[in-house]
Amino acid sequence: METPIFFWGVVLWMTLWGIAGSLLLHRRYVARDMDPSNATLAGALAGAALGPLGIGALWARTPKISGYLTGALALICLALLALGFRLADPANSCVANGAFVASQISNGIIIGVIYGFMALGLTLIFSILGVVSFAHGEFYMVGGMLVYYITKVWFPDMPPLIGILGACGITFLLGAAFERLMLTPMYSGKIDRPVEYGILVTFGLAFTLQYLVQALHGASPVKMPRYIDFPTITWPAEADPVWIKASRGNLELFETISISNPRFVAAVTCVLVLFALLFLLYRTWTGRAMRAVSQDREAAAIAGINPDRMNMLAFALGGMIAALAGALLVQAFSWLPQVGAIPALRSFVIVVLGGLGSLPGAFVGGIIVGLVEAAGTGCIPDPQKAASYIPAYGMVVLTLTLLLRPTGLFGRRFAGGAHGKL
Amino acid sequence: MKQKKMTTRFLASASLLVLATGAAQAQAVSCPIKLGGLAPLSAPGTVVGGEAMRDAMKIAEADINAAGGVLGCDIEVVIADTEGLPEKAVAVMEKLITQDGVVAVGGGYHSSVGVASKGVADARGMPVVFAETWNDTITSDKHKFVFRIAPLSSWASATIWQFALTVPGVKKVAILTENTDYGIPASQETAAGLTSGGIDSAVFSVDIGTQDYAGIIERIKAEAPDMIITLVTGEAAYNFTQQAADAGIGPLDLPFVTGQDALESGAYWRNVPDGKHAFVQRIGVPENLFTEKGKAFAAAYKAKTGKADVESYAMEAYDSIAILAQAITEAGGTGGEAIVEALENISHDGTLGRIYFPYGTKKEPSADGKGDEWWHQWPDPALTMIQFSEEGQSSSDAAIVYPDAYKTAEPIFVNQ
Repeated sequence: METPIFFWGVVLWMTLWGIAGSLLLHRRYVARDMDPSNATLAGALAGAALGPLGIGALWARTPKISGYLTGALALICLALLALGFRLADPANSCVANGAFVASQISNGIIIGVIYGFMALGLTLIFSILGVVSFAHGEFYMVGGMLVYYITKVWFPDMPPLIGILGACGITFLLGAAFERLMLTPMYSGKIDRPVEYGILVTFGLAFTLQYLVQALHGASPVKMPRYIDFPTITWPAEADPVWIKASRGNLELFETISISNPRFVAAVTCVLVLFALLFLLYRTWTGRAMRAVSQDREAAAIAGINPDRMNMLAFALGGMIAALAGALLVQAFSWLPQVGAIPALRSFVIVVLGGLGSLPGAFVGGIIVGLVEAAGTGCIPDPQKAASYIPAYGMVVLTLTLLLRPTGLFGRRFAGGAHGKL
Repeated sequence: MKQKKMTTRFLASASLLVLATGAAQAQAVSCPIKLGGLAPLSAPGTVVGGEAMRDAMKIAEADINAAGGVLGCDIEVVIADTEGLPEKAVAVMEKLITQDGVVAVGGGYHSSVGVASKGVADARGMPVVFAETWNDTITSDKHKFVFRIAPLSSWASATIWQFALTVPGVKKVAILTENTDYGIPASQETAAGLTSGGIDSAVFSVDIGTQDYAGIIERIKAEAPDMIITLVTGEAAYNFTQQAADAGIGPLDLPFVTGQDALESGAYWRNVPDGKHAFVQRIGVPENLFTEKGKAFAAAYKAKTGKADVESYAMEAYDSIAILAQAITEAGGTGGEAIVEALENISHDGTLGRIYFPYGTKKEPSADGKGDEWWHQWPDPALTMIQFSEEGQSSSDAAIVYPDAYKTAEPIFVNQ
């Protein structure tokens, strides 16, 4: 940075007024007997964005805090940060190179879609079973390994699609069997502390899967070749810039945005499967039954829904979603038995950010984390630190979420027995 | 009375002496003689390298036992998984010494493992011959019990940047490094070497075991480099090389030095299908120049692992065990001091050539105007650059393109 005082000055200003705003507005809303659940976040954003003016306006009018208001304030905060950054480091690619920014944003969105998709599975399990599955990363790992083994070892030359479907089927059955065998004591009243039991038993599954794969496969990395090669095209041929330029491993839009083939294929598939999942949840009896259980188990049972069966289905589906994410990314990353650890950690961050039990929250949270990671990697001036801090960016987001809005972006406080609202 | 007392004292002293001698003999011939073998066998360590080293050390154990063992005993190599992590390295070194009862330690892949565990070994008087840990400080700290047969990081870096200076048209180089005891000094030395030749460089640092390089690749592209050098180990290097290839800045697009684990060409081609024309650093001479022992090891290693290649770190791991076995034989016992003395005087015909340590307690490196990093350091490892010229090519068959002394073919520069 040429003049870091500008950037750090803005950060200090925003932090101090943000803290003041969060404390003052929370007290103000409580004193006026209004819902204070969003006041901390809105106060922090108003203080950070507009300083004493923002805090004063909210203090005087105490409006009902809507998503639009917090969204607008968040955008002003981002704009302030960007302005401070531009003044401090005008030569940084993040402010001086439009193509670079566009590429980083597209990278962030694409990987964010995949992150969000993986976190969906965790949310699904939590909202219905009330269990945070610590084996989520291992389902992701097993999904990738199964595709490799199905198409390269057990049935060489089998099309990747069959491998992916096989991985989904096997992990679905694995999840269902595990839920029946190990998680049913949670809701049969056989144990005193079901939540702790659920955490421990999924931890056990995580270790079992990881070390079983290591014992059977070894720890040597494997990888799938690209499922689909892009055709080599330049379109339109005479245009400047060319709108679409594709080689077998890369897609370039307007000679600006570069997207690698494996990520593109994975992200598009994730979006398609997301729509299928939403159809299942909102347009089928089974999906409605799962949503009903997520909202009120007892009422759902009275209405003739078997909550235990929904539990099994949710755990199996959640595990399968993680496995599908792995099956799609094994063509992008080298795959090891330990490969699930970081994605699982990231999924926990996303679920907390989006709101425990919220499907839209998981997806939006995934994209936010993807964008934050892309911004951190792309904008931190010292290239020797930018990528090293990737795991820390998610933790910063998690910390801010817990401080300012513990229920997450789309979360709510849960009634007794309910863990979320799908 | 006085004479009786003296007789009693004499007998007691003699008994103690006999007991002590017996204990010493018992220690010398306590069978089997256990040697520790450090290798990364779990992520985030370089598992490909660790498995190769483990297999090589087990072959060394079998060869030595088949030849009659050491001091009349079989040896047993106790493999310890370092995971490539310094904290784990300290723990496994402690365990090898205090629980497994090893008398010396070989192997070691990651520099951070060597840097972290050397102090433990030295404090406990445990001789160590590090096989593949490059960081200069491992020997420059001049620990009495620490030896190394791998090249120094500064030598290895020099090979890479000197090669880069020979690549035509290179004005800027992007260096991707891991933020470890290997990567950080190696990137600094490489950048300094490039600067001395008038070439700019931009260094990008990542955590060991990083998977997703999308963001950093965009930054590298924004620098518009003419060449890329990867100072990252294990599958992280595979990930980077293939993702760079997908983004249009891989080995098929510009001169690209990938990580050393590409020497395990089976795993390399499985993970980097677009890795043709990549350059790789290799330690040791080409296979056709192997010593007789090297050829025998290569045959045994290929038979055991089914691989087409013999990685240099596998040869170093084999030699680290074999040299310790010879030192114990020449020391006539398993005491740490005696083994160190034997190592300082050793001339070992290894798979990599004749191994010896010219500097140590008897002769300081400064006596010949050398830096402290030459302490207990084998001075002659051959360093070469190879290039894959065909998809699926074995690293043993890849052409040596640098230096001229070993060159088997001219390098192919894809962007020329």
